[in-house]
Amino acid sequence: MSHRRRDDDDDDDDVEPEEDEEEALDEEEDEGKSGRKRRRSEFIDDVAEEDEDEDEEEEDDDDFYNGGGGGGRRGGHRPKRRSASQFIDEEAQVDSDGEEEEEDGEDDEDDGRRMHRRTLLPREDDQVDVEALERSIQARYARSSHIEYDEETTDVEQQALLPSVRDPKLWMVKCAIGREREAAVCLMQKYIDKGSELQIRSAIALDHLKNYIYVEADKEAHVKEACKGLRVIYANTKITLVPIKEMTDVLSVESKAIDLSRDTWVRMKIGTYKGDLAKVVDVDNVRQRVTVKLIPRIDLQALANKLEGREVPKKKAFVPPARFMNVDEAREMHIRVERRRDTITGDYFENISGMMFKDGFLYKTVSMKSISSQNIQPTFDELEKFRQPGENGDGDMASLSTLFANRKKGHFMKGDQVIIVKGDLRNLKGWVEKVEEDNVHIRPNAEGLPKTLAVNEKELCKYFEPGNHVKVVSGASEGATGMVIKVEGHVVIILSDTTKEHIRVFADNVAESSEVTSGVTRIGDYELHDLVMLDNMSFGVIIRVESEAFQVLKGVPERPEVALVKLREIKCKLDRRTHAQDHSKNPVSVKDVVRIVEGPCKGNQGPVEHIFRGILFIYDRHHLEHAGFICAKSQSCIVVGGSRGNGDRNGDTLASRFSHLRTPTRVPQSPGRLPRGVPLDSGARHRGGRGHDPLVGTTVKIRQGPFKGYRGRVVDVKVDRHHISDNVAVSTPYRSVPRYGTGSETPMHPSRTPLHPYMTPMRDPGGLFSSFFFPSLLLTCVADACVSLTNQFFFAFATATPIHDGMRTPMRDRAWNPYTPMSPPRDNWEDANPGSWGTSPQYQPGSPPSRTYEAPTPGSGWANTPGGNYSEAGTPRDNSHAYANAPSPYLPSTPGGQPMTPSSASYLPGTPGGQPMTPGSGGLDVMSPVVGGDNEGLWALPDILVNVRRSGEDTVIGVVREVLPDGSCRINLGSSGNGDTVVALSSEIDIVVPRKSDKVKIMGGAQRGSTGKLIGIDGSDGIVKEDATFEVKILEMNILAKVAQSG
Amino acid sequence: MFFHMVLERNMQLHPRHFGRDLREKLVAKLMKDVEGTCSGRHGFVVGITGIESVGKGLIRDGTGFVTFPVKYQCVVFRPFKGEILEAVVTMVNKMGFFAEAGPVQIFVSNHLIPDDMEFQSGDMPNYTTSDRSVKIEKESEVRLKIIGTRVDATEIFCIGTIKDDFLGVLGGDQ
Repeated sequence: MSHRRRDDDDDDDDVEPEEDEEEALDEEEDEGKSGRKRRRSEFIDDVAEEDEDEDEEEEDDDDFYNGGGGGGRRGGHRPKRRSASQFIDEEAQVDSDGEEEEEDGEDDEDDGRRMHRRTLLPREDDQVDVEALERSIQARYARSSHIEYDEETTDVEQQALLPSVRDPKLWMVKCAIGREREAAVCLMQKYIDKGSELQIRSAIALDHLKNYIYVEADKEAHVKEACKGLRVIYANTKITLVPIKEMTDVLSVESKAIDLSRDTWVRMKIGTYKGDLAKVVDVDNVRQRVTVKLIPRIDLQALANKLEGREVPKKKAFVPPARFMNVDEAREMHIRVERRRDTITGDYFENISGMMFKDGFLYKTVSMKSISSQNIQPTFDELEKFRQPGENGDGDMASLSTLFANRKKGHFMKGDQVIIVKGDLRNLKGWVEKVEEDNVHIRPNAEGLPKTLAVNEKELCKYFEPGNHVKVVSGASEGATGMVIKVEGHVVIILSDTTKEHIRVFADNVAESSEVTSGVTRIGDYELHDLVMLDNMSFGVIIRVESEAFQVLKGVPERPEVALVKLREIKCKLDRRTHAQDHSKNPVSVKDVVRIVEGPCKGNQGPVEHIFRGILFIYDRHHLEHAGFICAKSQSCIVVGGSRGNGDRNGDTLASRFSHLRTPTRVPQSPGRLPRGVPLDSGARHRGGRGHDPLVGTTVKIRQGPFKGYRGRVVDVKVDRHHISDNVAVSTPYRSVPRYGTGSETPMHPSRTPLHPYMTPMRDPGGLFSSFFFPSLLLTCVADACVSLTNQFFFAFATATPIHDGMRTPMRDRAWNPYTPMSPPRDNWEDANPGSWGTSPQYQPGSPPSRTYEAPTPGSGWANTPGGNYSEAGTPRDNSHAYANAPSPYLPSTPGGQPMTPSSASYLPGTPGGQPMTPGSGGLDVMSPVVGGDNEGLWALPDILVNVRRSGEDTVIGVVREVLPDGSCRINLGSSGNGDTVVALSSEIDIVVPRKSDKVKIMGGAQRGSTGKLIGIDGSDGIVKEDATFEVKILEMNILAKVAQSG
Repeated sequence: MFFHMVLERNMQLHPRHFGRDLREKLVAKLMKDVEGTCSGRHGFVVGITGIESVGKGLIRDGTGFVTFPVKYQCVVFRPFKGEILEAVVTMVNKMGFFAEAGPVQIFVSNHLIPDDMEFQSGDMPNYTTSDRSVKIEKESEVRLKIIGTRVDATEIFCIGTIKDDFLGVLGGDQ
């Protein structure tokens, strides 16, 4: 502007020389000519600088919009300029303060506008004018309501200025794009022409808002009126009211100080390179243009075609991939490549049809508007691409500068280890002591330096040493943790904790941490290490979670096959608890440790994580690929280890630990179980009847309850056998023990003591009962103390008690249950822990596999409870816990871990002991409630509907015709009993649970044998109306059996 | 580094073990429970060398288990940063190699392998110098320096380097 000053000095009245300057000045000249300077000065606070900028921008705009915006505007309002000037108020713009000062200083204004004004005036007027101006200014500010927004303005004052409901409103009016200013000026002109007819207060065009102007008016109608007839304003479109709250925002100006400097990273906003990373090589602040370095996306073929004048498809559907320009390649395609020297920098560029290339990069000059420089986070890959072999250090610095720009507040924290990367103190390491605004006080680690040094934040970089354990706090691998292996400049290489892979990250993105995480471990519903079903019916284990996809190790045993899978490609998660058979036909369940004996991964060993369709996913810690997962056929693995030692080794501690936690599960479950579950132990009853028990006379040790540890001779069997520890051979089941056989020492049938658990109502009595029962136990089980209980249930209970010998069955069970031997070691030991409730260690292991009969025989729960706290008693059972942790496939949905389905199939063969005792004991049967017992014969009654389950066949419904003395039943198949007649062992039949309003037969209690109608079900109780007496009774559901409809 | 130290543990013993050889049972169980475990603080318990004292047992309500506070002497092994160890290579891949020194797994990244050793893939992946005089493959014995440890509740994992004087493959051709 200095030359303008010169003009001034020359007293050159001539306006014209300025003409070429800027449009803004232009306008003002017009004005000046008009001789109405004073008036103008009253209303125009500032014009010059802001205007210049805007015009500059508008040039750019023109580039983009081809708009006649600027031109049109000029054309539109210039003629009226002089009168219009008084209405222009641009006070709101940023630099108004400065401008005002200038006006005060008036005389030696070097401001372009002022100068112009002056040049327009006859010289002699000058002095006068100045005085007049001064006066007018003073007058103006004296009366002006304008308040200067200096620092002293308090919030309250500011608050008072905010628009309220009484103030005129701001309306947003749509206008032609690029003609916002024109529209505003048109409105102004209209106002001038029409005077107060027009009831609008002001019109505002914002540079950053295209397509709209704001009009200040009291009513919408006023706005409409004002806009009527203006070409550039779409008056018929909707006029929107700006909410009062937002009014201030409309007019507040955000200073967008874009700090673009060389070597910063930016992203392109438009065009072919949209989104691409670019590096600024030159900035022209005056012209608002920057030269950036890009990786070119040029389709050489298309270029060649174009240059040779061949037909080029106008629209290219695709964006050519970014790759470095190869000049030789271009030459080969007969594209003319010129080598030119840049006049300014002196560098040589290859010029291909107007595009400049150097070292394969494209150098492009673009408007500042077409790049974004805020929040650029170049990824490592992008930076790598930009990095040239020769410019290591340079590249580092470049990315550094960007990193610095992107640092958040509070980037450094006290205690961080830092290194100085710039300046004289470069490479000095230290620790952050204090952080101020931009300065960081560090305590250097070198001798002879002051205690703390204040260093600019930008000169610092975080520093890590190999071996530090760190966490990535931002960037692509955010969340991952690992140990620093190497530090390269400000890039650190980390060994990820989970993947054991190298991660390269910027030191700035890392923080020291002792935490161990894997980064993101889940997307949507799927988590790392889940077994998932994929779209195409294949399945696999998620072995890695990437930003938007999973790596899945597919279930193909022949070779490890990894697929990258998107979230939507996953059909569902598979968490079914299945099991499979290993090489030697032993069952394998989840968490079993297996060794692979065949196939590519032979020799590996680890716990089974998932089983699906006979494919095992094994986790081997030493297997480093695929996150340690190995996929193998179940047949090519063998289960390693057994239950031996588990109980002993870990069981004890765990058991006791868990037993506290496991309380509540058991009791509640039982009711649900009724239908199939726990049969009464009829066997025991028999025995009672017979008055003979193989245990009698043997020495036993009481294993649980208050008398735990006591030994004694069995006088009579009234004992819950769970409390008896059997001889060693039996009590420590060993995998290799022959499967069928050993157990046999308990001749009796494992009883499932029945009722207890489910007879909820009974529970308390049960507690009572047990509490006095046990003393008898102490007396080596004297006599049945509890015969005369009135309550039917009690009675049942009492009678049931003898059964308890059955309890000890578990082991037996284990012994002959084919599944048992293989019981998964892992699970089992938890289950097995003796401490967990009454079940003997052996017992549990057996249970999971053997559906036949349920581990948690209610009785055992009962047994435990000796203390009389019956309700609690059931609970300690560890099942729930153990299973939850290591769900065995056998117990599909039973949280409690009691597999209920007595699968007699497997079971029976072994049972020999069980059956014999059944017969005869009709009288004792009181309780025989539920289905599924081994001793069903005892309690099965003619005419009831049963499910017959035989090995290898599906369950068939049938009607019991006759109960044979050996406990088996003759059954007519079919729901009405008109099918084939078969003989089924008692353990092969399940009673069909009656539904409401079914005809039922009472299977236990005093009314055993009588029939009735089930008129309601209340939890585990059924409400039965007896046929004979018409009495309504509440009976346990488990002693009710459905009666076949048609005899 | 190995330490001989006295640790304490509360042992829970099942009542079935009560009897004459309760103490033996207790010790046997202690060994089973403790040997081979790893605690972040002390490292791996390599072996129990003796029992200092067995406190009075406390019967736990409800379970009948008895808790004995047992003080025992044991040898523990805990790797430290900067420690030099000899280890056996268990696995070699392009990222580096894993080695084991007793119970400790140590990873040596390829960044921490001397630059003149290059990864050779194949049946027996290995790192070899250009003149083929030195080879690191599975089962090789190496001397390495631990530069970082990560201590979990149940595991100690280390990273090591052989990029230093006197580190690298042991024996054989050297």
